[in-house]
This record gives sequence, structure tokens and C-alpha cells, in this order.
Amino acid sequence: MSAPPDLKQQQFLRLFMASEPAVRAFVRSLLPTLNDANDVMQEVAVVLWEKFAEYETHEDFRRWAFGVAKFKVLSWQRDRMRDRHVFGLETTELLAAESEHHATRLEAQRAALQDCLHKLPTEQRDLVHSAYAPGARIDSLARHLGSTAMALYKKLHRIRLLLAECTQRELSRKTEQ
Amino acid sequence: MSDPLREQWLQEYCEGTATAETTALLERALQEDPEYRLHFLEYLNLDQALSSASGFAEKDAEPAPAPLHLQPGLLRWAGLPRWGALAAGLTLLALGPWAVHALRSPYAMVTSTTGNGPREGTSLRSTQVRFEAGVVEFLTAKGARIVVEAPADVRFESADTLRVLRGKVAADVPPSAKGFTVLTPNGDAVDLGTRFGVDVPESGDAEVHVFQGEVIAQATGAQTKQSLRTGEALAMHNGVSASRELRSAAFIQPDEMPQLSAGLAWGQRARAQASLRALKAEPALIALLDFTDNTNLPGVFRMAQGRWPGSFAPEFVHQGDHLKLDVGADRLWPQLTLSAWVRLDQLGSPYHSLYHTDGWQSETPGQVHWMLTHDSKMRLALRGNSLAPGSTEKQGFPDSHTSVLPQRGRWVHLATVYDADARSVRFYLNGQFDKETLQEVAHPARLGPAQIGNWNRQDRKLSGRMDEFLLLGRALNDGEIRELYLSGNPYH
Repeated sequence: MSAPPDLKQQQFLRLFMASEPAVRAFVRSLLPTLNDANDVMQEVAVVLWEKFAEYETHEDFRRWAFGVAKFKVLSWQRDRMRDRHVFGLETTELLAAESEHHATRLEAQRAALQDCLHKLPTEQRDLVHSAYAPGARIDSLARHLGSTAMALYKKLHRIRLLLAECTQRELSRKTEQ
Repeated sequence: MSDPLREQWLQEYCEGTATAETTALLERALQEDPEYRLHFLEYLNLDQALSSASGFAEKDAEPAPAPLHLQPGLLRWAGLPRWGALAAGLTLLALGPWAVHALRSPYAMVTSTTGNGPREGTSLRSTQVRFEAGVVEFLTAKGARIVVEAPADVRFESADTLRVLRGKVAADVPPSAKGFTVLTPNGDAVDLGTRFGVDVPESGDAEVHVFQGEVIAQATGAQTKQSLRTGEALAMHNGVSASRELRSAAFIQPDEMPQLSAGLAWGQRARAQASLRALKAEPALIALLDFTDNTNLPGVFRMAQGRWPGSFAPEFVHQGDHLKLDVGADRLWPQLTLSAWVRLDQLGSPYHSLYHTDGWQSETPGQVHWMLTHDSKMRLALRGNSLAPGSTEKQGFPDSHTSVLPQRGRWVHLATVYDADARSVRFYLNGQFDKETLQEVAHPARLGPAQIGNWNRQDRKLSGRMDEFLLLGRALNDGEIRELYLSGNPYH
């Protein structure tokens, strides 16, 4: 803690910004919904800053952040075990390890997503944007589109699978090059 | 990965609708099949990335959650004045209209905001950011601190590049962000690891000012680049660049932001407005210009932002810029209080006019000239007055003891109280009594046609902004001046 607070804050924000998408994806993979992931992510960010004094600069920040995030996820699961269907400790540990192991691949996938989104037919792309827009609700979106929530969920699922295939293709194409 | 049942579990889990049974089945499959595990991780990775790209799908369409507030204990621990801003930044909620396509790391993040700019914590990636009031501070992914003042229209094109269509931009660029570039319609500025400002007004030339270090500037269409060093400034127009005087006060710099936003959070603006209302009811009031209600003042100047987001203040930039004011000519004033909030640029060359009545003739004794001298002290000169015997004044006029030089580039409150009956001139800086000078001859003050920011002899330019100019026909005491400062102070 020899650096002045402002420098420390700057250093933290820079490291945090660089790792944030990876940590967020990590948290999301261990929790049932985006809302859950967002709640836990807020806590993770605060703890990271609180503990930043203990962070050694030679450590890998992302790795450190994953550790903190895993701890937060586990306590979230413990608190909700009774009223929510959450993964058990064993699965969470396994997914956390795997998530960390594949971090680079997942990052490359996120990077490839933009191109894949552009390749989607306009109708599907618009649907993704509407469904993931801030404050969007699937039931009201379905009403608006003259469809049902269930049909919309199915459509979105198919689109996510298409995007997963597309990003896989992009990644293997890049590896071959 | 085409087992339809497994795909369905995945879908239900992702929607948050999986039953206990489905969750158990999913868990077993995840534990047994590494390929399915990877597919699961990729699927949820996409779900998260799509969500981040669009902001965030909120619970039940509730309004965006308020920025996170932390317990005071943390605040003390952190020792940071802007903890609220930082904490909000940490959460990176990326909500609201500025939420952008953050599929990859953001280019910059909002670390502090006043007025109607994007909220703290917003992460940005090539989104157009427009705001009409206030100041926004960004931190780029490479660690440059960028403060943008309204009215502004800017866009980060990368973590290294900011395009500015309008606005005042101050950049503090550490070595890690060397090469940070500001693009304007008139030309570009490339930073070589330093502090600099770029002013892109609504109309007129874009200007580059270097506070410290070195910047390479190139006017659009120009063949050559120009190196600017500490204290130098340049205007760019039609492929041609011309030297300018450094105007540091034109820019709100990163170190000023915390106090400004804390001032707002502390309710200083409401306090200032209450104080203005009280002043307007003063029976002895001669003039009170807050520049937000008085918009049609004659003169040559441009309007910039005042001490508060969305308020206004005249900005004097060029030699001869001025504001005309004709008040109080109907009588003489044995007591007079002059006060103003000013934000000054470079000082000391040779006089800066705060308020100069036109002319300076022996047949009009008591004419008032209020200014800053070449050694950056406040001066109140009344025509025909003389110093009391034994005065220590070296230049023949009542001057303040303290120089306002260290206050350059920040809002500072200046006040002078004249009392002809007591034969005294009293100076105040930021509400603090500074010095009293006694007069032997003390005429009552004579007002009338006057200029702020210049004298009609054209050699007393003011460089900077002025807010809340007050002329009062009575002598305020020390406590009242202190109150005037405290209630109008934009900082905390």
C-alpha cells in the first residue's frame, strides 16, 4: 500500500476493467440467471477493491479475481440452497476449474461473437437485441410480437446455439490460419 | 451436441426455469461429460456476453438499480473522496442509454459525473456520448484520465482515441497511455505522456493547450505536425495553426473533479441558490449577475458553464473580450462591496479587469477600477483617492496581500469592501479576510457605464470565466463575506 490512493485506484480500475468480462462470464456460468450473476458480480467487485491492498502485483489479477468470485458464488449458493435449485459444491468446483482452464478460449469466443451477430439474419439479430435490452421482459416482448413466451424462449435458445456454432467455426478458422 | 434432452436442460437452466429434477440431471451430465461441460460454459458465456452487449436484462423491468452505496467504514478505509463513484464504477453495471456493445473489454469507463452525462460506472465502447450540462470523468482502459465538460459530444474510437465534436476535454495521460489522441473537426492532438486540454467550441477554432509535457498537433489538411510543450497553446483552423495563450482555466482537470462532485452531493448548489435569492432581496443591491437568469448582457464574450452543471458564466478568451454593465449611476455610494467568483487563466500580464468603470478623469472622482495586478494581487482603485500617511502600499493603490496565483484554473471567490466614511478598503480571498488599507482621501464610489473583463482602453483583459458578480451599496462585514463564500462554493 505504498502507492497513493488515487494511483492505487487507477491501477485497480485498469486491472479490473481488463478482467471484468472474464470474471462476469465465470460468475454467470456458475449461477442460474443473469440477475443472479449481476448481484454476485456487484459483491465481487466490492470485495476485490476491499482486498486490493492484499493483492500482490506479481499475481495474475484475473486468477485472483476468479478465486474471490468463486468464494462469493459458493456463499450465494449456500444461502439459497433451500429455496432455489442450485448446483451442488462438487459441480460448482468442477465448473469453476473448467471455466478457468478455458478462460482464453471463452474470451476468444466473446471476441468472435460480434462478427457472428452480424451474420445472423436481421430478424434474429433484432430479436436478440430486444430480448437482451435493458429492462426487457420476455412475456411482454412475446405479446408485442404476437407470440408466446415459450415460443420466444425456444427461438432465443436456437439463436444461441447458432451463435455457439458460428463462434466455434470462427475460432477453428483462426487457429488454422 | 445434439441430444435434444440435454439441450433442453441447458435452455431451462439458462432461463432460470429448471426444476430440481432438471438441475440434478444437468449436474450429472456435466460431471460425466467433459464435452458437454465445455458446451455448457460456451453457451452461458454467450448469454452473458449478449447481455453485457445490450446493457443488462433487468429484473421485471424495474428502473436501473441505483449506484452501489457503501458503508461509511469502507469509505474511511479507502480514504478516497469519491468512493461512491468508484464503487459504482466497480460494479460496471453498464445500464441505461449509454450501455454499449461491450463484447470485448470496454475502451473507457465513467468514473465520476455531474449534470446529465452518463452515469458513473458506465463502460463505453465507441458509443456517442452527448450531454448538455455538467462534467464527466472517464478512465480509459490504458489508464488515461479524461475530463469532458458540457456541452459535449464525444466518442471513444478506441482506448487510445477520443473523437470530440464539441466540448472541453482535459487529459491526464500516464506513460502507460502514451499516444492518446484527441481528434477534432479542425485537427488532431497526439499526447506524448502528459497533461493537456482540447477545446472544441460550438463555433470557432479548436484549440490545444499543453499544461505539462509534450503534444503533437496537426491541423486537418496541414502537411506538417507541430510540437507543443508545457505552457504552449495552438488554435487550428482550415489546415492552419496559430499560437494562442495558454488557458488552463478553460478546462476542468481530473484533480478538480472529486471536490466538484462532492460539492454537488453535499447540496452546495441548493445552498448557493438560497443565498442568491436572499441577495436579490437586499435593499442595497446594485447589481447581481448570475449569468443564468441574465442571458442578454451586451458585450463580446462566449458563454461557458458556470460553477454548476448547466449554469452559465461568461468566458473571456480574446484581447478586448468584455461584458458591458451600466448600473448605479443615479447616486454616489459611500459604501460598496464588490464580489465575484472567477476562474482565471494565466495571470500577471499586465492587468486583469474585474470591473472597470469607463474612463478615469479627475473631474469624476470616485470612479471604480477593480482588477488583478501584474503580480496577481487584487486592487481597488478609486479615482482621486490617496493612501493614508505611513501606508506600506508600494504601487500607490490598495492591493491585497495575498496573490491569487495559486488559485489559477479553479473557481476562486474574490471580494473587496470599500467604506468611504471609515476610509478603508478590505480584501477577501475565498471568504478569508486578507488585508485592510486605509485611505487619506476617500471619495464615495461613482459607478455608471462600465466593463467587466476589460477597460475601454483595451489593455486590461481578463482571461477566464466569471460567475455571480455582485455590487452592493453597503459594506459587508467579515462574517457576511465568509457566508457569501461558503454558500457559493462549488467545492467540498
